[in-house]
Amino acid sequence: MTESSGTLIELSRLNKTFTLRNFFYKDEETGKRQFYRKRLVKAVQNINFTIDRGEIFGLLGPNGAGKTTTVKMLSGLVKPDEGMVSVDGLDVERHRQKVLRKVGVVLEGTRTSIWPLTPMENLAYYGNLKNVKGSVLSERSNRLLDFIGLQDKKHVEVRHLSRGQKQKLAICIALIGDPQVLLLDEPTTGLDVQSARAIKDKIIEMTREYGKSVLVTTHDMHVAQELCDRIGIIDKGQLVACKPTQELLGNFSDQVYVFQLDREPDIAALEQVPGVLTVTTELTSEGPTAVINLEPEPAARSRALYAVMEALSKGNYELRSIAQRQQNLESVFLQLTTSTM
Amino acid sequence: MSFLLVMKAEIVRTLIIMRRYWLRTIMGMIMGYGMLIVLILGFMLSQEELTNTMNDRFGDPEAATNFVLGFIIGMFAFGIVGMFTQGLQGMAVSGVLEQLCLSPHGLVTNFLARSTVAAITTCFSSSLMVWMVTMTVGGTLFFNGPALAMLLILTFINLLGFGFMMGGLILVFKQVGQVAILIRMGLFALAIFAKEELLEQGWAMATLVHALPIADAAILLKHVLIKNQRLVDGNYVPVYQHPSLFFLLLSCAVWTTLGITCFKMMENWSRAKGTLGTY
Ligand SMILES: Nc1ncnc2c1ncn2[C@@H]1O[C@H](COP(=O)(O)OP(=O)(O)O)[C@@H](O)[C@H]1O
Ligand SMILES: [Mg+2]
Repeated sequence: MTESSGTLIELSRLNKTFTLRNFFYKDEETGKRQFYRKRLVKAVQNINFTIDRGEIFGLLGPNGAGKTTTVKMLSGLVKPDEGMVSVDGLDVERHRQKVLRKVGVVLEGTRTSIWPLTPMENLAYYGNLKNVKGSVLSERSNRLLDFIGLQDKKHVEVRHLSRGQKQKLAICIALIGDPQVLLLDEPTTGLDVQSARAIKDKIIEMTREYGKSVLVTTHDMHVAQELCDRIGIIDKGQLVACKPTQELLGNFSDQVYVFQLDREPDIAALEQVPGVLTVTTELTSEGPTAVINLEPEPAARSRALYAVMEALSKGNYELRSIAQRQQNLESVFLQLTTSTM
Repeated sequence: MSFLLVMKAEIVRTLIIMRRYWLRTIMGMIMGYGMLIVLILGFMLSQEELTNTMNDRFGDPEAATNFVLGFIIGMFAFGIVGMFTQGLQGMAVSGVLEQLCLSPHGLVTNFLARSTVAAITTCFSSSLMVWMVTMTVGGTLFFNGPALAMLLILTFINLLGFGFMMGGLILVFKQVGQVAILIRMGLFALAIFAKEELLEQGWAMATLVHALPIADAAILLKHVLIKNQRLVDGNYVPVYQHPSLFFLLLSCAVWTTLGITCFKMMENWSRAKGTLGTY
């Protein structure tokens, strides 16, 4: 432990292109057949970000966005075409063995453990590989299983455990070498609500109490929103945003108001109102609405709200309700990912 | 150091699995034993009628023991190379391969240690098998401790090189796995049919036998265990002076260097293609 804050992981100008080769390829849409087809997939394009000590960083993106590829490059399982990844100042490509002592990785949790062995035996196996032994090993194994809530299953063969329990065990296995960073690829995908909840709680507890840094990838905005201090949104291999969670939400929140009316609003007239940025109309089950995006600055927003009401009143609209649109990561995510389509 | 860490982990794992699945372990041995006995009995029963028609392949008196021993060396080769082929493929499927890549030792060390442990356990079970079979059939084998130990280690190293080569190919081209079973069967056959006489059938045959893995090793093991280090003409030639030993050493050096180099190259290539964990 040299410092308690500062950058721990750095990815700079990272690029990875995969080559897909198919023989006897048949195009599903056109039905055209090719004897041989070669296609390039730009899995990761020019990605930069850093993760600080003690931070939970979320990499959020739809399927096929390049999240797993990024995690694999961070752990040396995939070799980047260009760019550099470093952990605690060490280049992953050049010092892979040293870096692997500092990171714990969970790729697909159910595929991490050795199924004919029990959780304790799995931890002993992977502990032995990482030179954790004797009383330290048994003490740490017990503590980890206790922490994650698998204490009562510690002598049950892994093949009899549920998906969520295997995922929990995978996290323990990643932690057995006491790494500084934990890389979790889709840790809650495919789990039921309770297991997902438990794992999210444990991830937070781990960073808060033990000062670990965590990288979580997910396609689920709620997971990212609940869990992460900072979020990078990745789409088609490109990082389209990378900000602290609150800022990312704040950028878009507190400004959108939904006015429930009796008929279609006059958009042009409303756009003339000072302080109004954009106006759209949406048809809901309760009738037409005016969705109005206002100036974010509080005083200006207040003035604009009065002015909009005045305009609506002048226009003889029946105002049925006003609501502030709850911004969540989902809408941010959709706005960001669709704009790059 | 790394090697010892992985060895330790592997030994513990192997012992636990053997103990937990003891029934399967014992059944496996009984099946192997039964299969061998049936083969040998069939072989011995047909022996009398065959002696007239068959050529020297089964003609000599130690044919049965020769066959049994070949069979067991074949099993050994089959098993060790299997670690690198079907075993590696299974590990890619179960995700353990990725975990080994993520352990701070590298794949080569991991596989070295894994196969060493596998070889030791196979040696134990094979010896038991050889002993049981010779007890039943009544053949005689000659145990020369030091010579045998040296040969077993060399046989293992010889197979390692070949195994690494195959493993490397499978890392990149997962489809090779389907072909690998044929190659393993080939090794098996080679272990059974490799014998000293083959070396005297012209330089082409001799070169082929020397170049192939396991052939020299099988010849030497038979030389020690069956023929008590005597040549066909009855002359005593200690294994240390047997010409095949030189070729076995050469074969070990060449195959191991080639195999590990190939494996490392393929591992890198596989990382570039991103196929380490895919199946
Ligand atoms: N080994 C590979 N060979 C070819 N294409 C790959 C390989 N690995 C990933 N890809 C492609 O790269 C893209 C990104 O994949 P991935 O990183 O797994 O996405 P995510 O984890 O975000 O769902 C996808 O289009 C995927 O098909
Ligand atoms: Mg993924």
